[in-house]
Amino acid sequence: MLLQTDKSAIEFELSRRQFFNYSGVGLASAASMSMLPGTPVIAGNAANAFVNPLAVKLPHFSPRAKHVIYLFMAGGPSQLELFDNKPRLRELNGEQIPDSYVPKDNTKRFAFIKNDAPLLGARRRFRKHGQCGMEVSSLLPYTAGIVDELALIKTVRTDNFNHGPAKLLMNTGFGRPGRPGIGAWTIYGLGSEADNLPSFVVLTTGPRGPRNGTQLYSSGFLPTIHQGVPLRNSGDPILGLTNPSGISRRQQRQAVDAIQTLNAERFAVTGDGEITTRIAAYEMAFRMQSAAPEMMDFGSETLQTLDAYGAKPSESSFANNCLLARRLVERGVRFVQLFHTDWDHHGSDKEQNIDNGIESRCREIDQPCAALISDLRERGLLDDTLVVWGGEFGRTPQAQDTSPAGRDHHIETSCVWMAGGGIRGGQTVGQTDELGFFAIENPLHVNDLHATILHQLGLNHERLTYRFQGRDFRLTDVGGNVIKQIV
Amino acid sequence: MKGLADSVIVLSMRRSYHAVLCLALLTGSSCAAAVDQTVASVEFDRDVAPILDRHCVVCHGPEKQESGLRLDVPKFLHVGGDRGPSVVAGNSKQSILIRALTGKDNITQMPDGDDPLDKTQIEIIRRWIDQGAQAPEDDAVSSRLPVESDHWAFQPIDQPRPPDVSDNAWIRNGVDLFVFARLNEESLRPSPQADRVTLIRRLNFDLLGLPPTPEEVDRFLNDNRPGAYDRLVDRLVDSPHFGERWGRHWLDVARYADSDGYNYDRPRSIWKYRDWVIEAINRDLPFDQFTIDQLAGDLLDDATCNQQVATGFHRNTLYNREGGNDPEQYRIERIVDRVNTTGTVFLGLTVGCAECHAHKYDPFSQREFYELFAFFNNCDEPELSLPTPSEQERIADIDRQIAEIRKQTEIPENAGPKRQTRIDELKKSRPKPATTLVIAERTTDPRTTAIHIRGDFKERGAVVTANVPRVLPSLKSTRGRFDRLDLAHWLFSEENPLTARVTVNRIWQQYFGKGLVETENDFGTQGELPTHPELLDWLADEFRSGGWQVKRIHRLILTSATYRQSSQQSGSAAERDPANRLLARQVRLRLPAECIRDSCLAVSGLLSGRIGGPSVFPWQPEGIMDVRREPRPWTISSGTDRYRRGMYTHFWRTSPHPFLTTFDAPLSDVCSTRRTQSNTPLQALMLLNDPTFLECAAALARRILTESPSNERINYAFRLCVSRTPSPEERKSLQRFIELQQEEFRKHPDTAAALPGDGATSPTGDPVELAAWIATARVLLNIDEFITRE
Repeated sequence: MLLQTDKSAIEFELSRRQFFNYSGVGLASAASMSMLPGTPVIAGNAANAFVNPLAVKLPHFSPRAKHVIYLFMAGGPSQLELFDNKPRLRELNGEQIPDSYVPKDNTKRFAFIKNDAPLLGARRRFRKHGQCGMEVSSLLPYTAGIVDELALIKTVRTDNFNHGPAKLLMNTGFGRPGRPGIGAWTIYGLGSEADNLPSFVVLTTGPRGPRNGTQLYSSGFLPTIHQGVPLRNSGDPILGLTNPSGISRRQQRQAVDAIQTLNAERFAVTGDGEITTRIAAYEMAFRMQSAAPEMMDFGSETLQTLDAYGAKPSESSFANNCLLARRLVERGVRFVQLFHTDWDHHGSDKEQNIDNGIESRCREIDQPCAALISDLRERGLLDDTLVVWGGEFGRTPQAQDTSPAGRDHHIETSCVWMAGGGIRGGQTVGQTDELGFFAIENPLHVNDLHATILHQLGLNHERLTYRFQGRDFRLTDVGGNVIKQIV
Repeated sequence: MKGLADSVIVLSMRRSYHAVLCLALLTGSSCAAAVDQTVASVEFDRDVAPILDRHCVVCHGPEKQESGLRLDVPKFLHVGGDRGPSVVAGNSKQSILIRALTGKDNITQMPDGDDPLDKTQIEIIRRWIDQGAQAPEDDAVSSRLPVESDHWAFQPIDQPRPPDVSDNAWIRNGVDLFVFARLNEESLRPSPQADRVTLIRRLNFDLLGLPPTPEEVDRFLNDNRPGAYDRLVDRLVDSPHFGERWGRHWLDVARYADSDGYNYDRPRSIWKYRDWVIEAINRDLPFDQFTIDQLAGDLLDDATCNQQVATGFHRNTLYNREGGNDPEQYRIERIVDRVNTTGTVFLGLTVGCAECHAHKYDPFSQREFYELFAFFNNCDEPELSLPTPSEQERIADIDRQIAEIRKQTEIPENAGPKRQTRIDELKKSRPKPATTLVIAERTTDPRTTAIHIRGDFKERGAVVTANVPRVLPSLKSTRGRFDRLDLAHWLFSEENPLTARVTVNRIWQQYFGKGLVETENDFGTQGELPTHPELLDWLADEFRSGGWQVKRIHRLILTSATYRQSSQQSGSAAERDPANRLLARQVRLRLPAECIRDSCLAVSGLLSGRIGGPSVFPWQPEGIMDVRREPRPWTISSGTDRYRRGMYTHFWRTSPHPFLTTFDAPLSDVCSTRRTQSNTPLQALMLLNDPTFLECAAALARRILTESPSNERINYAFRLCVSRTPSPEERKSLQRFIELQQEEFRKHPDTAAALPGDGATSPTGDPVELAAWIATARVLLNIDEFITRE
């Protein structure tokens, strides 16, 4: 017990209980104050002394998903090599793209290629898979095995053909830095159900970080408590998780108790509820010190599970991160975002190409993605967990280079799949033209994707707003329609 | 067909021959032929105006100007809206009005959301345009009408007389009269003055961002002469660290960082601007000059080097260097950010809302956004080299030597590669002076500014020239056109009420946690109303009439009884005004990120007090730089540079130092006028376990053991950290903790040795005692009171 009997004990105990009961929603009157989604709650001064900004909040309507795992393929994977089979493009390989697609003028339409760059047919074999008969290329044999779980969207359009802004748009809903990430919005709308782990966790693999770094998962203008917490690949998985050497766990407990006692004294003098929030924060920090290593430890996983993912204990890999994602979700973490970099396959470079480069990337992600879906399904978690896979944009039907081959950034179409969390799997949404250049059926935008993710979480994207600099901001800015066909 | 039938009736009632025209059209004759045969000339008042009045003016009239367009006065048809002039006299095909009415060329057909006009009506307008689009002059209407608004913030600043207050024992200056009167209305009483320890800590944190030393506390406690408090305020306001603390507030709004952001996040050298801010605040550069230098220093006659450095304010924008981008797109983004930041910082207005469309709530059109944009559209972005006098000398000397060698070309033995090698060597030895990013007005090929339709820089609409929003006082210049210097001067013109209000409000906010206007960045119609409007105006008036001296306003607030109140929450005010909007007490505020680390370094004796210079690289955990797209080293600074104040930590926008972001430092992507104050487990983990803080705890423990006899140590530790002696209960619990730790470390002596520093060199000779004190110092650096200004 951390408190000794003293004059403030009763007072302190009351507020402590109020705080510690947050996870049991509705016990404390304060908790109900913060149950309206979208109500900005800042841990600040006395006015909201006992309001926990991470308290579980009611969604706008009955949710289908409670968790999201977002598998972000940074760089822009080529939809034409993976999901969007275009026989006609193969026939026209090497020919100029017709003027009706790209006028031969000086308007800048692509990051690198000229407007008259020649077409490039995919050199991959496509087959229909599953009961739904979804077409998937030979690059993704494992994904091909779970197509009946997937809703594949072939027509996601973005606004910008540069990585930085396009990544920001896909991750924060706006092409310039400074806005909260999707995870931050989600926590802001729904609060946290994990009482000893952060609620928005970021996992990264690949030879480099994703462009824009922390700007992709920051809290933007939301209170900092909503920012994504990176689980680090080396050292402490969470900063400050390990006691300094020389301080045992028992001593850490003693130190926290001493801090709590002195803080309780100060609360008795000042009456500042912020101190009780800090007391609770120290308790959660202490719990996190044992919960996070336990979560990171694959010791309790069977060999069968590890093999299914291709995960190896204490290695940094996308496979390990997929398994970690499941373990995080199991422990109540609301939003898990995985970044896997190096999908920028322009060609000519020995790694950045759609010949061997894309093969390596697919080998790294294909089996773990499929294993994650199957594992979530087997454990009964898939119904509650929305899984999203995609990059920041697609790639052009024209070649940027042919040896090794590669494609430029394409904003008109890209492929994204969603599974679980109430998504109706086994279907393909949208069609592109015979070259895979434009959407000809069901054109969708990044905003629509975001509206759909929030919708599955029980949040209306037009009502989830935050007032900043005089304006009510939304994840979907001024756009967004829920993709009705898949929900 | 309802619309058509209606208009037939209306038209036939107005002018019978129009009915003839309509019938002619309805019977199926070709339009042009029918018109030619039936009508001679179309007149605006008689024929065109009624159609526009009926179908268009609701949205494009005196009340509302969607897309910046008015169609109620003929002159405005020529001026046009965001897309440019609505009519091209004599050419209806090219006239946007006709394209809009027929829904051609990607323009939404008008009236939006209503039935389109019938063919006859469009034909009448078409003919009017083709016949020259003439209309009687209306001199009463200028093409640039002022916009009226009764919104409080746009009204002139009052010079309110402070209210008379009968009970004046509490009152110390004008500030208090307003606050007391307001409390009185609610039958509330102000809090008593805080004790002296709290006061000196509060002042120290608010003015320097550092805790007072025990000696400074004693000196203040023992100063029994009258005016002790005022003398303390004077000493702190005049401290060179004042410029650091208040400079950091300004750097938040200036979105200062040491890298580009975006993809590659390249490093940039702009610390000279940061140092200029600190220095300008320290010498109390009046706020008008402070602003003019930053917005338009380059345009001043004989601009000094310092004034050019100051223009770095608007070079703190992000920069996207990604391959394959359209540089114009990001140049435009930088200008948009400059407009938004200028609006937020000086006007407290969210002009950025009008980037893509007319402001939803405040009276700004999209045209007006681009008129502001025009001020910044000719900003070139050079780098300024700033050699020190000795560097300058050395460069001149080297250049002289090189020139001499070159002169010796005729001498054969000096010719050839040997000579070139010498020149190269000299060039290499040329010192590399510090550089900084500045703004310079483009002189050749100035750009014209157009409205960007829906904010899309590729869709250029009507051309506009630099001007200020019409709802605000108009801009005057003798030169006929306006530049940034005019804009900067206009901010401080007698008629402009916003700059003074917004600025004193932001100062107030730093001292009370919230401004008198809580929405410190939105003084528009959607912002909060001031809680004390007269006090706000009184302060604004003091600021303006006092020559914009900032320290004067600081002193005014700091010496008030309102500021000196206790922050303890109790009594009826705590219940009836929990948010403390009426100021019946002071507030407890957690220290900003930088100040938390600074305080730890200060009490442990590690802090380097050096002011200014290039940014530094204190310790940070491994792996922080791994999140970047482009790897960059983080080489820990040597010597005392590791222990510089937090504001000098190199700020990488895409991989900021985790301590800063964990404790709510702004991300520097956009202007930040207020920091959030979160209170999280991650903060607890960092203060508990981060090696930086353990290092501080170790140094603090040594300090305590060295500087204090054993029976005084708990007292001394408390005084170092929180400036006061502990209560008996606090002393007891700390004593118990020390004993517990000694027991633990005695049982496991190896763990004592694992703590930082060399345990064998314990000041008391007992490694266990040192270890126990390190553990105790760690507790003190973690308590709420240590990181809170009360």
